Amino acid sequence: MTSAGDQLLSFIRFLRGQDIPISPADSMDAVRVAGLLGYTQRDTLKHGLASVLAKSEREAAIYNRAFDRFFSTEIAVNPNAASTPDTSTGDGDGGSGDKDAANTDLNTFKQLQTDYPEAMNTDQATLAEALLRGEASTVALSIEAAATAVQLNGIKTFTQRGQYTRRMLDAIGEGGLRGLVIALETASDPRLPLVQQWRQVLRERIRDRVERAYLVNAGGATEELLDDALKEVRLGNVAPHQIQRMKKLMARLARKLAARHGQRRQQARRGQLHVPATLRRSLPTDGIPFQTRWRRTRRRRPQLLAICDVSGSVATYAKFLLMFLYTLQDVLPRTRSFAFSGKLGEVSDLFAQLPIEDAIDRVNLDYGGATDYARAFSEFSQLALQDINRNTTVVILGDARNSNSDPRLDLLAEIKARCRQLIWLNPEPRSAWGTRDSEMLPVIRHCHTAAECNNLKHLERIVDKLLADTKRP
Amino acid sequence: MIISQYPGLGDIDTITDNFEQAGYICTRRIATVVYLAAALNKPILVEGPPGVGKTELAKTCASVVARPLVRLQCYEGLDEAKALYEWKYGKQLLYTQVLKQQLAEILSGAVGLRDSMQRLHEFGDVFYSPEFLEPRPLLRALEQPDGAVLLIDEVDKADFEFESLLLEVLSDFQVSIPEIGTIEAKSKPIVFLTSNDTRDLSDALKRRCLHLHIPFPSLELERQIVTQRVPNASATLTDQLVRFVHAVRELDLKKAPAISESIDWAKALLLLHADQLDTHLVHDTLNVLLKYEEDVATAEGSLHKLLGPAVR
Repeated sequence: MTSAGDQLLSFIRFLRGQDIPISPADSMDAVRVAGLLGYTQRDTLKHGLASVLAKSEREAAIYNRAFDRFFSTEIAVNPNAASTPDTSTGDGDGGSGDKDAANTDLNTFKQLQTDYPEAMNTDQATLAEALLRGEASTVALSIEAAATAVQLNGIKTFTQRGQYTRRMLDAIGEGGLRGLVIALETASDPRLPLVQQWRQVLRERIRDRVERAYLVNAGGATEELLDDALKEVRLGNVAPHQIQRMKKLMARLARKLAARHGQRRQQARRGQLHVPATLRRSLPTDGIPFQTRWRRTRRRRPQLLAICDVSGSVATYAKFLLMFLYTLQDVLPRTRSFAFSGKLGEVSDLFAQLPIEDAIDRVNLDYGGATDYARAFSEFSQLALQDINRNTTVVILGDARNSNSDPRLDLLAEIKARCRQLIWLNPEPRSAWGTRDSEMLPVIRHCHTAAECNNLKHLERIVDKLLADTKRP
Repeated sequence: MIISQYPGLGDIDTITDNFEQAGYICTRRIATVVYLAAALNKPILVEGPPGVGKTELAKTCASVVARPLVRLQCYEGLDEAKALYEWKYGKQLLYTQVLKQQLAEILSGAVGLRDSMQRLHEFGDVFYSPEFLEPRPLLRALEQPDGAVLLIDEVDKADFEFESLLLEVLSDFQVSIPEIGTIEAKSKPIVFLTSNDTRDLSDALKRRCLHLHIPFPSLELERQIVTQRVPNASATLTDQLVRFVHAVRELDLKKAPAISESIDWAKALLLLHADQLDTHLVHDTLNVLLKYEEDVATAEGSLHKLLGPAVR
């Protein structure tokens, strides 16, 4: 029971490493569930634990995979031994044949012990006997002891597995078996295959244990490390093989942000008395407040307009920004997006109709080309200036490089004057702003916020702030 | 073994059998979670697409354990006055009228303000007392002497604040009423919450529940369910129908047909005395299965491709 209980706890630790939040209360529930259902019926246990540990479909998928890896059908200790001698109380046919085989093995073992006393000290003998008798608990116990001795929980990386397996084998005293094998080999003893088989079983058990330790202690940590690193990689440099991981990471960030900002507050329903208004209302009735006035929180309908440069140099960043904004559709209402390089056009419909990926490809196809900010601003003004009001946030993504022609910043100033917030995101590092044909320095003056945005960390911070601002009453 | 106060939920196999007798075929997964809920006294949060039998599960459970089913249908704007309790204002008003008449009697012979107040205090305050309490579903479920099955349907439709209101009921099976105090459950009910995934529920609520996700059933399971529910349909028809429905679910539809639609369709076909599917029949009755005009059009477009393997 205790070893199974430990296994459950390390399973929970592993799930936590896989980004499934499991509270102490959840793990207590899991232990109670396991206590009720027992460890004998694997499927039942799987269903039962799922009900307390996996709380969404995403988590269920991770859980299922992890469970299968963790509670794999145990490797039989001795293929000939009856499964567990302490519980199987003579269950009739079938079992007896196996038992006979195990007894023969045991006799061979005793003989070996007398034949090669120097290779079999007492510790070895106990272990080997336990293996032979199929005493799973004794074997598990010595493996756990060895794990403690070599501090197996210190395992951090994939490459350490071999090293730890070796150390475990040494600690458990596999050296003796090795000596025995050599002795048998030189004597060309017919019992050699049998001993080799025991050795193999022991190795597999230990490799299994080390693998599990790696999953628990390092699996999650490595993932986290990779994710952290990826958050700081420039979006333009994300390698194709990392794209999948990147997308997962973005989806996770989006979920986090959505959860943080998604809670609707309905403060208006139970208002407080609006004393000044009530008094004002009472004037006609000689100061007797017949009609009451209540304070209410004004409901705003925030709107977001995103304008993205999709010319070659900035396209990748635009892609990620748009992807991020559209994953957040649930919490960011009324997003309209525009794309430009030569000409500018609204692409909101594309995103409504096509999957994000395809939409982005289409946008690049339709609007790619050399950048012309003057034309972009004037076309945007024609399209959307009418709709900009105090509830509108405008986000512009671009490098502000206009090939030395006038970018018509007066139009930008007009947009700023009408909207609640104008944010300019530039994928170039701050040090490059204003160099050569960059118009970024004058642009900053016409924005509420100008920020460098070229990795996921920047993007997360900016969108977080954006959500906080648009949600504020 | 924990002995549950509810009969018929003693172990997983018993649950499977009892539910089947009550007309609900449940998977091992469902039976396990129901068993755990009864043994651990935890609510079950049932998720899954509409029409896979989430509400039906609670109803069947109530009939298996032979306890009343108390149902709370959630919607936007649901508040504690409709879910927990309400004061009987009318009765309270009447009470004050009666009190006024009695006041003279109570205060007769009192000397001075202090004495009068003393008498009033002694009189005791029943204005806010259980007699004037109108229990709503949540409180009613707690008040059932032998326990009950409480179904909180479509909890995702309710407001975010309502979830917080549920927390006390779900974790401690009690309700706090400021004027009276805490009312505990006479006997802990079995609680089912259902959700259609229209929004994410709060972590606090999720933490208190056992999770059960019911997906669309497998071919074999759905055949069993349809046979159970529409026993008069011929085996050929049931088989073809279930195959067809499974093929339809593969299409890109606005709303994929669920079990309830399969059953409705089977009933409709039975009324038309059909004993197997053919193009005409499907064409005429497809609107029972699919609820959107676009979906019907999509399915009709590939009717032959769908029907071919199903009828085979």
